[in-house]
Amino acid sequence: MNPRFLVLPAALVISHDAQAMVYLSVEQAQALMFPGQTLVPVPVVLSAADLAAIEKDCGVPVYPGSLAAWKAPGGYFFTDSVIGKHDLIRYAVAIDDGRIREVEILEYREAYGGEVRNSRWLHQFVGLQHGASVKVGRGIQNISGATLSSQHVTDGIRRLLATYAIAFAGR
Amino acid sequence: MNQVRRARPLLGTLTQISVAAPLAPVDLHAAVDAAFGEIAVVHALMSWHDADSELSRLNRCAPGGIARVHAHTRAVLDAALRIARLSDGAFDPCTGATLARWGLLPRHAPSRQLPPRPPQRASWRDIELTDEGVRFHRPVSLDLGGIAKGYAVDLAVQRLLQLGIREIVVNAGGDLRVAGTGEHTAVIRHPCSAHAPAHSLRLHNEALATSSAFGSERQVHGGAVCALVDPATDRAYAGRDSVSVRAATCMTADALTKVALFGSSAVAAAVFEACRAQCIRLEPVVN
Repeated sequence: MNPRFLVLPAALVISHDAQAMVYLSVEQAQALMFPGQTLVPVPVVLSAADLAAIEKDCGVPVYPGSLAAWKAPGGYFFTDSVIGKHDLIRYAVAIDDGRIREVEILEYREAYGGEVRNSRWLHQFVGLQHGASVKVGRGIQNISGATLSSQHVTDGIRRLLATYAIAFAGR
Repeated sequence: MNQVRRARPLLGTLTQISVAAPLAPVDLHAAVDAAFGEIAVVHALMSWHDADSELSRLNRCAPGGIARVHAHTRAVLDAALRIARLSDGAFDPCTGATLARWGLLPRHAPSRQLPPRPPQRASWRDIELTDEGVRFHRPVSLDLGGIAKGYAVDLAVQRLLQLGIREIVVNAGGDLRVAGTGEHTAVIRHPCSAHAPAHSLRLHNEALATSSAFGSERQVHGGAVCALVDPATDRAYAGRDSVSVRAATCMTADALTKVALFGSSAVAAAVFEACRAQCIRLEPVVN
């Protein structure tokens, strides 16, 4: 066998542990994005009309209570999350003068084993063979393959810009 | 030793940087900021999705003229054409129009006017690099998605090394590179799963990149397509397996996944030998 070309069987082993990765706490993200500044929490008050306007503007559903906001001398700091089919991503955004200045991922959580178990594609693989199993510790360190899409984050940022324009700018 | 691990939405994925060094956390964060900055530059230059990127402007250039490009774009084009030549076109950065036709890349103005299936698609052979810049000999739909991510990862690693960071992992959605004294465990996902781990390996000062159809598959006019285009046939890769490539740099690993998928065995053997790369193919076990 040519050692440069390995062919390995890959059995599907269902993990019941949801992978989770915490990158930054809210306080750490605030310190990185607004160093030395005092951030004051701002209540996020969105009326039914606001919610409808935001969804119409960006085409992304709004989850009430998901968004948190702080005001700093240099701009606004937000945390928000997006939920995909397979994951939940919580992120922080610095907005300066109506423009996105920085985006940092705070936390990434994969779907729970139960949800993965139910997905359609699994049926033809489940339980066929075990053996190539690999135990992965908590966290998604150094994983290759099946690219995580940032599409949901892009959608979330579009939603945040719509929210900012409708409920923050000028208020 | 202090450690920092952060992620930003870059290169169309969540790009993660993990570093450790005997530095104050504030200095580690500054180094990570600088590394993300390098990746953001590559992203801005070579994004197909952004109609204002240098890549998009290049794709709008009339054939025959010379376009000056950024040193990064030049470096990626140099490498792309080299690997295309060595692999006899198994890797070809000119499949953008096909992906746009399948809805896997956004359509920009020029490709909208292309016929459904051009009789002879432009290829890497239609691109010439001169001292002054880049010349297309016919309209080309350059898509650097199969190589630029690896280049961006390499650039970030280099920057972190220059800043005195000892232990580094940069992972752009599965195209990853590790640097430092230690070994790092990397896990390859199951080729048909977004989550299940299938194979683990130890990496030391090297890169790993993986390609599979999973995640980008869709139906177009009744046929299955995915983001992996065979340059010889203009068809989507139909296998359910994944290929992962270990190589010295992430750019090489990234590009060579396509050589493993689409090259003849003789071509792949020669390229992998010459590049001192290794291919790990994971085949799903099915009854």
